[in-house]
Amino acid sequence: MKRSIFYILLSLLCQIAFSQTIITGKVTKEQGEVLPGANVYLKGTYDGTSANENGQFIFKTAKTGQFDLQAEFMGYEPVSRKVELKGDTIRMNVQLKEAFNQLNAVIITAGTFEAGDKRQAITITPLDMVTTAGAKGDVYGALQSLPGTTTNGESGRLFVKGGDSEESQTYIDGSLVYVPYNPSAPNLSTRGRFNPFMFKGTIFSTGGYSAEYGQALSSVLLLNTNDMPAEDQFDLSFLSIGAEFAGTKLWKNGAITGSLTYNNLAPYMSITPQNYDWVKAPESKTGALSVRQKTGKTGMFKLYSSFENGGFTINQKNLDQGGSPFDYKLANDNYFMNASWNGQLGEKWAMTSAASFTNNKDDIRFNQTTVGKRIVGVHLKNVFSHPFTEKFTLKFGGELFAKTFSQNVQMPAEMHYNSFTNHTIAGFTEAQVYASSKFVTRIGARVEYSDYLKSVNLSPRLSAAYKVTGNSQFSLAYGWFYQNPLDDYLLYTNRINPERADHYTFSYQSSINKRTLRIELYYKDYKDLVKTNGVAFYLPSSYSNLGSGYAKGLDLFWRDNKTIKNGDYWISYSYLDTKRDYRNYPEKVIPTFASKHNLAVVYKHWFSGLRSLAGINFKYSSPRVYNDPNSPIFNGEKMLPYRSLDLSWSFLYRKNIIFYGAVTNVLGFKNEFGRRYASSPDSGGNYPSAAIEPGSNRFYVLACFITLTRKGDANQLDKIE
Amino acid sequence: MKKIILSLAVVFVSLVSMAQKPEFFKTMGETLGQFSTCKNVADFQALGNKFQMIADVEKTEWLPLYYHAHCYIIMSFMEQTDAAKKDSYLDVAEKSVAKLIEMVPNESEVFALQSFYYVARLVVNPAERGQEFSGLSGQAVGKALALDPTNPRAQLIKLQGDMGSAQFFGKDPKSFCPQAKELLTKWDNFKPKSPIHPSWGKDQLMGIVKGCQ
Repeated sequence: MKRSIFYILLSLLCQIAFSQTIITGKVTKEQGEVLPGANVYLKGTYDGTSANENGQFIFKTAKTGQFDLQAEFMGYEPVSRKVELKGDTIRMNVQLKEAFNQLNAVIITAGTFEAGDKRQAITITPLDMVTTAGAKGDVYGALQSLPGTTTNGESGRLFVKGGDSEESQTYIDGSLVYVPYNPSAPNLSTRGRFNPFMFKGTIFSTGGYSAEYGQALSSVLLLNTNDMPAEDQFDLSFLSIGAEFAGTKLWKNGAITGSLTYNNLAPYMSITPQNYDWVKAPESKTGALSVRQKTGKTGMFKLYSSFENGGFTINQKNLDQGGSPFDYKLANDNYFMNASWNGQLGEKWAMTSAASFTNNKDDIRFNQTTVGKRIVGVHLKNVFSHPFTEKFTLKFGGELFAKTFSQNVQMPAEMHYNSFTNHTIAGFTEAQVYASSKFVTRIGARVEYSDYLKSVNLSPRLSAAYKVTGNSQFSLAYGWFYQNPLDDYLLYTNRINPERADHYTFSYQSSINKRTLRIELYYKDYKDLVKTNGVAFYLPSSYSNLGSGYAKGLDLFWRDNKTIKNGDYWISYSYLDTKRDYRNYPEKVIPTFASKHNLAVVYKHWFSGLRSLAGINFKYSSPRVYNDPNSPIFNGEKMLPYRSLDLSWSFLYRKNIIFYGAVTNVLGFKNEFGRRYASSPDSGGNYPSAAIEPGSNRFYVLACFITLTRKGDANQLDKIE
Repeated sequence: MKKIILSLAVVFVSLVSMAQKPEFFKTMGETLGQFSTCKNVADFQALGNKFQMIADVEKTEWLPLYYHAHCYIIMSFMEQTDAAKKDSYLDVAEKSVAKLIEMVPNESEVFALQSFYYVARLVVNPAERGQEFSGLSGQAVGKALALDPTNPRAQLIKLQGDMGSAQFFGKDPKSFCPQAKELLTKWDNFKPKSPIHPSWGKDQLMGIVKGCQ
């Protein structure tokens, strides 16, 4: 008895002395799933605990009175509840709401390949541009291993989702690049003017893009240049086709980089078999300067300016004169300047200003004919964005595209000079609204006016994305897209209107743990395409907007960074069904640039023992069509399929020295891009022809990149680590 | 009997009054004591939660935040597969590190921790992040050593970085062994300012020295 009294007294005493309150319950998400690891504690005290694997928590406290019970977990809004501690047991279940965070929220992926983001949803990165075998270090070459593109070996330019190459535009730091490609001989592949090392991020949109972008029917490629370099350095690049020297000097909050590049294919062409007869191999000299300056706390000013002079002479068969050869000589001068500033204006406003200037001159001579072409282009753009709340952002801005194109043709008996100047001014606005972190819509519109064509267009744009689970989402994009007709037509008429394409894109993307699957369905409705009646090119009445067409298809992309240790591969497949009636086409037919099936398989492997990144790449495009004027069927002929197996090897010899080697079409598949025909029939009534072959069956690159710094340990391909 | 009850009551009352005092040092000491018993992500998360709770009470103390970030960095290393989770842990660590730098901008330990944090970011995806984060990590550890050249944790992080890059470039990382051994002999000369100041790292260093044999 005594003993039991003792225990009763003891427990009573415990209660009085400690007046312990037990707090217990469960932490769950709104949907009821438990949140193990959630932190539950009394605010302002050391009393608390973490939820166990079943989301349950229990802890004692000796405190009495009113307290706030705080429950929190990363990625969720913390919840605070008033509790009255008076020595009993408090049972309390807490529900946490997912915090809204734009970084983790759903993003619109329809039509878009984004790169350079530090997040996981990466589909392709700037490094891929350099290391993808077969890309030959060319930005556009690398993009041609993505779905939605068709490789046209006789062009090298981007052809996106049933669109012609002119329908794609390139922007650097927000402003338009009027002449993004190097000049090339007729029916020979070209490459981009810009070194992929210049860029830290790319967005490749193959349709349904933001109202911010106009004057592109098919795609926009947005390249963002590197920010501030890390230290003073000197870069030396030696390639089998040339050399580059670049120096970077830093100061407080700023840096300048100057570079000189000299390319000459003559030695390379003299030791590798070529399909064409080069009188003077392609040669170019480039000087470039880039400046970076931080302004204030958030601002960054970038300037890039380059001058390039290049040219070549190639000997080609003149099919109109019984196949007698003639020289085709091209000289090109290109000046390009690009400047941008972006930063915050006060707390809530962000502004981006961008400007570009292009002066491009082509001087072409062949067969007693000279053609001088000149493009002077200016692009000015200003965009403001203002987040009204975390979930609602408004963006608006305006831009001006000014362009003068002139062409001077001199033949022994005649001479033509034509030119036009157009100013297109545009205004756009776009609202991005998150209903939750799972659902976002973007609604925008764009108005454009061209003073040369006297046309006004309104383009609505709409896109939305819905996150089904943490890792997968659906996106939709819709919009009208306008683009001014080809310069070659505008030289002779302004009585035509911009061409139009309506995009409908539906896409599904799932990214789980370094594996990404993307499926995209699209339909494009082309309207108001320019047609020529073939009567006389110089008469305005020869041009009309009576053309039309469609493109529809399925794009698949699978990238797996996970399954194979140190290996990374992607498979891209595109199915394309397209027909159009434009230019000189007599009816709606498959255009010459479209392949029904396109496949690219890209594999990269990092051999750590060898400090090497090896790449292998296979591409296939089903046969395209071409037109034989000897045949009654327009575009009735089929060319060979395009096949190429490419290899590349990058070897990190020292921390600051890289060796690089690549071969395209190792297996020597025969690739041919149809035939070209004489402009008039011979005496027998036949149009003589010649096969269009690639410049060479294989292409070899050998290169060495050296970086010198004070510390001596940086390199240009550091990212390979 | 009465005596016993009385004496017990006295003990309890004194315990209560002790518990009502802000026992920052004691709680920190106890919580730090649990470091060695943590085995998995959940354990470290629970520990990080405690430091978070303490940091919430002691708004002027930097040590709870320091260990909070440290726990989340360790969690990112312990998470085996899910890269998104690793990044989400590091997002938490990043915030605490940023607060720390504002709180004590001249604390060598904080920059050593920041360097460690950058290494963790790098490890999530070395191919993509190698260049950027090895640079950032190097800068941070440089700051840590500038503030206190004797900080053994900063020296350890720098050593690990140097050995990793030597190995990568086919040089013998063992060329850094004398440096590692020297650091180990000097390790105990560095006296933390208090028992709850950072003192971790010796085990890792002993591991490195062991690998040298």
